[in-house]
Amino acid sequence: MNAPFSSYLTGIAPGLKELIGLLRKRYDYVSVLSTDSTGFSVSISQRAKSVSRETIATERGTVVRVYRNGLYAEAAFTGFDPANVQETCDKITGELDAQLRLLSAAGVKPYETGILPDEARTVFAEMETGRLPEEEDISSLVDRLSAVSDKGMEQGQAEGLRLIDCMVRASSTHVCKMFLTENQDLRQSYVFSEGMCAGLVAGEERTDFAYTSLSGRKGPELFDNMEDRIPKITKIAKDLVSAERVEPGEYDVITAPDVTGLIAHEAFGHGVEMDMFVKGRALGADYIGKRVGSDLVTMHEGALCAVDVTSYAFDDEGTPAGDVTEIDKGILRGGICDALSALRLGVKPTGNGKREKFSHKVYTRMTNTMFDSGTSTLDEMIASIQKGYLLEGMQSGMEDPKHWGIQCILDRGYEIIDGKLTGKVVSPLVMTGYVPDLLGSVSMVSTDREVFGSGACGKGHKEWVKVADGGPYLKAKARLG
Amino acid sequence: MAEMKNAALDTLLNVLKTSGADAWEVTDKTEKGWEFYFIRHALDQHRAKDIRSFGVKVYKKFDDCLGSARAEVPADASEKEMRGIVEGLCKDASYVRNPAYTLNKPAAGGAPAAEAEKIDLEAISGDFIRTLASVPETATEDLNSYEIFVSAVSRRFLNSEGIDVSDVYPSSMVEAVVNARRDGHEIELYRLFKSGTCSREQLTQDLTEALTYGRDKLVTSATPNLGKADVVFSTDPARELYNYFIDRLAADMVFRGMSDWKIGDAVAPENMTVEAVKTLPNSSKNTVWDAEGAPIRDLTLIDRGKAAAYWGSRQFSQYLGLESSFAASNFSVSGGTESAADLRTGDYLEVVEFSDFQTDAITGDIAGEIRLGYLHQGGKVTPVSGGSVSGNVRELLSGFRFSKETRQYDSLLIPAVTRIQGVTVTGA
Repeated sequence: MNAPFSSYLTGIAPGLKELIGLLRKRYDYVSVLSTDSTGFSVSISQRAKSVSRETIATERGTVVRVYRNGLYAEAAFTGFDPANVQETCDKITGELDAQLRLLSAAGVKPYETGILPDEARTVFAEMETGRLPEEEDISSLVDRLSAVSDKGMEQGQAEGLRLIDCMVRASSTHVCKMFLTENQDLRQSYVFSEGMCAGLVAGEERTDFAYTSLSGRKGPELFDNMEDRIPKITKIAKDLVSAERVEPGEYDVITAPDVTGLIAHEAFGHGVEMDMFVKGRALGADYIGKRVGSDLVTMHEGALCAVDVTSYAFDDEGTPAGDVTEIDKGILRGGICDALSALRLGVKPTGNGKREKFSHKVYTRMTNTMFDSGTSTLDEMIASIQKGYLLEGMQSGMEDPKHWGIQCILDRGYEIIDGKLTGKVVSPLVMTGYVPDLLGSVSMVSTDREVFGSGACGKGHKEWVKVADGGPYLKAKARLG
Repeated sequence: MAEMKNAALDTLLNVLKTSGADAWEVTDKTEKGWEFYFIRHALDQHRAKDIRSFGVKVYKKFDDCLGSARAEVPADASEKEMRGIVEGLCKDASYVRNPAYTLNKPAAGGAPAAEAEKIDLEAISGDFIRTLASVPETATEDLNSYEIFVSAVSRRFLNSEGIDVSDVYPSSMVEAVVNARRDGHEIELYRLFKSGTCSREQLTQDLTEALTYGRDKLVTSATPNLGKADVVFSTDPARELYNYFIDRLAADMVFRGMSDWKIGDAVAPENMTVEAVKTLPNSSKNTVWDAEGAPIRDLTLIDRGKAAAYWGSRQFSQYLGLESSFAASNFSVSGGTESAADLRTGDYLEVVEFSDFQTDAITGDIAGEIRLGYLHQGGKVTPVSGGSVSGNVRELLSGFRFSKETRQYDSLLIPAVTRIQGVTVTGA
């Protein structure tokens, strides 16, 4: 089935077009983004259960972007009333004019920017989904997730683990967005879902959290087989309670696809967000056409290069979804860009202008950030290492686009000695390094690849949006602590 | 307009009262905000927002169980849409049955009175704009870009027990990126400041400090592999260390088994006292009541190293046997007996900039990549970068020392200097 477009947005569209017409009398460019996204979150554990009709992406509201005298401004609001369009128009202009008076009194000059193009375009995309979150039988879902939690506890205890709890979470969002200008009418509707299954396990001296996640541009059918996750949770829990500390140093490592995705995201995800180029905040701007990794490193970014939680038809500025080759055989080819940054840099936008919610500003943001696959098998990669670790389980990461430092906090390292896994586990791990050194050391890449979309990404320490990343297994050299 | 606004709330309340819900809570929240984005000191764009939402939670009772479900009801929802949402919530609430607990009741002596405060977005915004325009930049250290967010938040909370309270408060945030350059090489440092309104003196002082660190980061050596070392924390990342103690006394963490701390346990250095405090000067979280209508008050959480009280939401607090609790928002850590100067003696590594320093509240693990540290060895001070620090707070408690001087980071007042012995320092 296709996810139906919001009847609410359809209903207010004529009023919003009237608003655009009124605002065009004062401004040279006007666009409107309206959202009406609904969903649910269910959280089940042995100790507490909850249901909410909110997710990271549920919202309803409108943001208006206007342009005049080289300067862009925005007004975001809830409660649009198609019967009082003039009142809304007056309120927007009154507020923005008051801000301009303050800025003028403070002697602030604008960062002069050109006007966005407004070529006629129509999009109506209702993307395929198995089921809709608004039609999901929550009673049945709660029962199924509760059974998963119960089974997780039973299996953990059967295997001798001191499992404190087994937690299961599921959320699903039906996204509806409408982008309007004088000449454009773009509407899209899609569903994405994400889930998590985790075990809280007590060891001798510490408590650890073993988790796996799942995601997709799918409906709640994503959660139909969550019990399949239990064996993996049990294994991770066993690994964590037996883990030792790593001896700090540089090692040959193999990064599992989730860790590969974290590297992609931190290294040349943030590193080539081109709004950072505008501000002179990214070293990547000086490295286009230059080597930043080994010949085995090829990386793509874009809503079209995988199908997961952020695979939309157009971004929050109305730019069509894209697929950018950021690194081709080790050579940095380009970055990703929102529409205003593209104007300022004289390039084409790539479909990466995203807002945390309608009420937030657009920044250049990632969608799907992926390393390409290679030709090796995981067994061949393990066999090639004398002493090192297979790294699994990403916790968090941070980049320094100006200096190309990278920090990845990881869950587990599986020791490899003389080409074989020894069964010894180290945890936790902080992997640090210099991005070109890390990518330059990539010497083997596996044939398979996975994408992970259960996390959220901040710009600095705010503006949280959904992203996905991933890739194959990579063999590289990394510093672990 | 005000009548329309109240009409929407009245309609929602009527829907709730006739919905079959056994209990309910509503938060009517409006945030009016002004935002200004700068590249260098030129205006990138300016934004205004006026966002209203109704946070609704409904409850269904079943013998000794209570189910609940929540949603955000759009401000422009029709009565029919509101009724559909609330009816759906009543069904959802019946599927998730938790041990029974009760909602907050009106405070004895009447509802806490919110200060009738008129928040002047234009005046606060002007203060920020002028302050950031006058930061003492130099030819080699300056502001790359900054973003100013100023909000006036008004909330009204009502529940089926008769609570009807409201408050209004300012909430501001500044994101700033600092550049420093030398011999053709440029670096950046990132800052995110939160506060109630603009404190010109504090903001200027904090950004001046960042400019200094930026200059020093340009002349760093690679951090050597120190093995176990004394590490000093004296900047924003130190918050993470103290949040560990606060988070592990949160009622939901304890009830869920993520924290095994019991009242009376020795959980912190024996001179450390941690308090939830009603207000801190210019905090962005100086609210009168919490999200469930409980009055915010002062409460000692750790008394000279021993766990003294849990804090948190009504549900999990009652599960732990607390009749009266609240979700605190401002915290203070005190009890240091040594001066900052005393803590900065001998050999140690003072790390002032991390990529992202983190403490895991469940495991106690700490980790962060070093962006700028000052290595004090044999009386010599060397700026260093690269490598990482790691360890576990629980294992490091015996070597945990902190100053009597304090420093405030928005809603958290903590020792200005913290020194921990035995932290693992991995070299660059």
